[in-house]
Amino acid sequence: MAAGFKTVEPLEYYRRFLKENCRPDGRELGEFRTTTVNEFGAPPTDAPDKGYVVPNVDLSPLCSSRFRSGPPGEEAQVASQFIADVIENSQIIQKEDLCISSGKLAWVLYCDLICLNHDGNILDACTFALLAALKNVQLPEVTINEETALAEVNLKKKSCLNIRTHPVATSFAVFDDTLLIVDPTEEEEHLATGTLTVVMDEEGRLCCLHKPGGSGLTGAKLQDCMSRAVTRHKEVKKLMDEVFKSMKPK
Amino acid sequence: MPGDHRRIRGPEESQPPQLYAAGEGEEPAPRDPARLRPVYARAGLLSQAKGSAYLEAGGTKVLCAVSGPRPAEGGERGGGPAGAGGEAPAALRGRLLCDFRRAPFSGRRRRAPPGGGEERELALALQEALEPAVRLGRYPRAQLEVSALLLEDGGSALAAALTAAALALADAGVEMYDLVVGCGLSRAPAPAPAWLLDPTLLEEERASAGLTVALMPVLNQVAGVLGSGEGGPTESWAEAVRLGLEGCQRLYPVLQQCLVRAARRRGAAAPL
Repeated sequence: MAAGFKTVEPLEYYRRFLKENCRPDGRELGEFRTTTVNEFGAPPTDAPDKGYVVPNVDLSPLCSSRFRSGPPGEEAQVASQFIADVIENSQIIQKEDLCISSGKLAWVLYCDLICLNHDGNILDACTFALLAALKNVQLPEVTINEETALAEVNLKKKSCLNIRTHPVATSFAVFDDTLLIVDPTEEEEHLATGTLTVVMDEEGRLCCLHKPGGSGLTGAKLQDCMSRAVTRHKEVKKLMDEVFKSMKPK
Repeated sequence: MPGDHRRIRGPEESQPPQLYAAGEGEEPAPRDPARLRPVYARAGLLSQAKGSAYLEAGGTKVLCAVSGPRPAEGGERGGGPAGAGGEAPAALRGRLLCDFRRAPFSGRRRRAPPGGGEERELALALQEALEPAVRLGRYPRAQLEVSALLLEDGGSALAAALTAAALALADAGVEMYDLVVGCGLSRAPAPAPAWLLDPTLLEEERASAGLTVALMPVLNQVAGVLGSGEGGPTESWAEAVRLGLEGCQRLYPVLQQCLVRAARRRGAAAPL
């Protein structure tokens, strides 16, 4: 029934999305599970003061029958690269914070995102899940023993990561160069002639723009999208703050 | 992984901090050997899968999804005498393809995604245990795909996966003779070799032998048994199997409730 309405009055449908306030649906649609596992590694030789953040998005046959088991397909690779770009460009964490001992030891944060149910718009869900997981990370305290040159870890004393910005992604599906739908479902993505993802942080700065081909967009439409993304950021930030406040410290 | 250009590269090697931590041995607490951990089961939660189920028992969390029936890949097999009840001849029966994967964060150490031998063995065990329960003769030349994902390993992972898979198949409306309920056991090491039902991760790690039994509760038939470890007298293993089967029977009412609730939810949501 909703589909009929969509074809008859597409602009109205779009407006409905705009009016909706802080939709947690954006997350439920493409449920994600992230965890970050922290491990030690040697820092890269070209940047001895930096640690690593290694994202990995897993789209398995569990989340949708489109995917086959085996090595990551195209969509998973694109999503992983997108997340890596968001982390890099938005500077959520400074890689220098992850360094324990310059040139010798640094933290490696493995971010594994597993999609449980794919109902469209995974990039938004991925960024949100990643942010929530990073907020939850507790790094134990490490000291390097001078004599043995080995690390000593104190699992009892843990500190949180310093999260500098809170990027939020907003995805749009483009229909016929004119119509834009926010937060597309699987069906809508399939029918769309193009997609666009805008990542904003809380100061209204653009961190990342992802437009993989598809039909063209006028400059005005693009501006429209960006302002919509700024509004969405405010809605999502409210939800995020509620969630973080309710999280029990471990 | 050195040559894997499909994933984002990290450092060549990395070790978890636990290796360097000042070690404190943890001992599993003494407990009633026949206690089952409270189970939370929910079916019908994924919208993209035909049927799905989530099972949580102590720290073990498993999610399972079923899709299909789909036309089978692979060659046509010849006909033969038709089975009873209008079922397809044996050679044309449907197939069950099972896939078991562990999330990289499910254990103490991160496991890089391509799982390897253990996951394949467990997937095969899943298939062997589920086949007796599913009426594959009703799905000629078709295949049903079952994917199990272990989100967190808190002990008895295979048993939880079996139960979740059976629930997911039932939720998908696949014709089955009966549900399959799985139960794990482990035998504590030397000084007091007693069989413990539904072991936690700690108990499993210290065990000298482990066993998983799968039972079809209403028919009271064993669907699968998988065990490994140090040998012992046959009576000990027989007693363990009996303990496991009792555990499965005790779990059955919870699963029935879960399916009834899921059917109600589905009924309430359907008329639009």
